[in-house]
Amino acid sequence: MGVFVFLPLVLPLTAWPVARLAEHHLHPRAATWLLSAVAAVLAVCSTLCLGLLVVVGTAQLPGNPLPDGWSDPEVRAAVPHDEVAGRIAIPALVAVVAACTVTAWRHLRVRRRAERALGGLAGSSVAVLPDPSPYAYALPGRRDRIVVTTGMLAGLSSGERRALFAHERAHLDGRHHRFLLTVRLAARANPFLRPLRTAVVYSTERWADEEAAEAVGSRRTVARAVGKSALISRGSPVVPLAHFAEAAGPVPRRVAALLGPAPSPRIWPPAFTAVGLAAWGATAGTTVSAFSSANAAVTLFFILHAATPM
Amino acid sequence: MTGHRGDDRAAPRRRGQGELETQVLAALRAAPGPATAGWVRERIGGDLAYTTVVTILTRLHVKGAVARERSGRSFQWTAVADEAGLAALRMRRVLDSEDDREAVLTSFVSTLSPGDERLLRALLEAAEPSEEGD
Repeated sequence: MGVFVFLPLVLPLTAWPVARLAEHHLHPRAATWLLSAVAAVLAVCSTLCLGLLVVVGTAQLPGNPLPDGWSDPEVRAAVPHDEVAGRIAIPALVAVVAACTVTAWRHLRVRRRAERALGGLAGSSVAVLPDPSPYAYALPGRRDRIVVTTGMLAGLSSGERRALFAHERAHLDGRHHRFLLTVRLAARANPFLRPLRTAVVYSTERWADEEAAEAVGSRRTVARAVGKSALISRGSPVVPLAHFAEAAGPVPRRVAALLGPAPSPRIWPPAFTAVGLAAWGATAGTTVSAFSSANAAVTLFFILHAATPM
Repeated sequence: MTGHRGDDRAAPRRRGQGELETQVLAALRAAPGPATAGWVRERIGGDLAYTTVVTILTRLHVKGAVARERSGRSFQWTAVADEAGLAALRMRRVLDSEDDREAVLTSFVSTLSPGDERLLRALLEAAEPSEEGD
C-alpha cells in the first residue's frame, strides 16, 4: 500500500480552492451539496487510513492484544516509516473519535433540550416566545419548529417577517442541519477540512436566503430582513459568539449577495473557469482519496490475513 | 427510541419535567388567586405526590415563571408567566448554557463586528430609497 495510506490524510487540501471560490461562483444549493459530499468522503477515507495506521502501530507495541503475526516485518514493511507513523496515528485516531463523539453528542443535546423547552406549547410550527431579546432559530426535530421572539418580530415589517419565516422554513425543509452536522464531523475528523465547514455554514445560509427570496418574491425584502435582524440582535446577550474575524462578516456578504443579481441555477460550473477547475480538482482529489484508502485497506487486509496463523 | 416514547404515553408518571411544569403552571393560571401547593395538586389530579408539586413549583419559581408569598408555614403561589412565557424562559436557559448553540441551531443571523455593522448600514441605506411600503 506504501504511500497510498498517507494520501487520504492530505488530499482534503485539493478541496480548498473550490471551498474558496464556491461562495461567488456556485449556486448556494450546488455549493452546499458539492462541499458536503466532498467533505464526507474525504473525512471517511482519512479516518479509515488513520485506522489502518493504528493497526500497524498498535501491533508494534509490547503487550498489544492483536495477533503476534501482525507485528511481522512484512506487515511493517507495508507502511513507510511505520514506527513513527504508527505511533502518531494512535493518539490522532483517539482524538478524532473523541472530537466527533463530543460534536455529535452536543448536537443531539442542544436539539433535545431546545425541544423540551418548547414542550408545553401547542403544536404549531412556529413558536413565538415573549422575550425582548431578539433571536430566531430553525429547530429540527420530531416536530420541525421555527422559534422566534417578540423582540425579533417587533423590529421587522410584515414583509420582512415573511422573509424571516421563509428563510427558517427553507432550513427545515432542506434539512440543512444534516449538511451542517456532516461538515462539522468532517472538520473534526481531519483539520484540513475546516475551510469546507466554514464554506458550508455560509452556503446553507445563502441557500435559505435564496429560497426565501423566491418565496416572498423580493430579494431586497430578504436583504433588509437579514440586515435589520442582525442590527437588532447586535448587543443581544443571546446571540454573541463571533466565530470568525474576517474582512467582511457573513451577514454583510449575504446582504450584498441578495442586493445583487440572483445566482445562476446551474449545478455544475463550466469546466474552463477557475471555479470549474477547482470543482474538478476537488472531485479528482476525492476520487483519488477513495481509491487510495480502498487500496490501502485491501492491501493491509491481505497482508494481515497472510500473517495471521490459522 | 420509539419504545421509550411509547412508555411515556403508557405511564403518565414518567411524563417529562417540561410537561409537568406546563401542567402546574396551567393549573395555577386557572386559580382565582394565589393558591397553595395542595390546591394545585388537587387541580391536576391525584397521581402526583405533594412533594413533587412543591418541587415543580420551586423550579418554576427559580425560572421566574411563578411568584410566591409566605403564608404561615407554607407558600401561596401565583403564576406570572403563561405557557409561551415559560417556554421563552426555558429557551433562554438552553441558549445561555450552550456555548456552541450556534453550531447546532441555525440562527437567522450571526454576530456583527463593528466593521460589519458600518458596512451593513451602508448596504441597507443604499438599498432603501426605491422600496418603502411593502
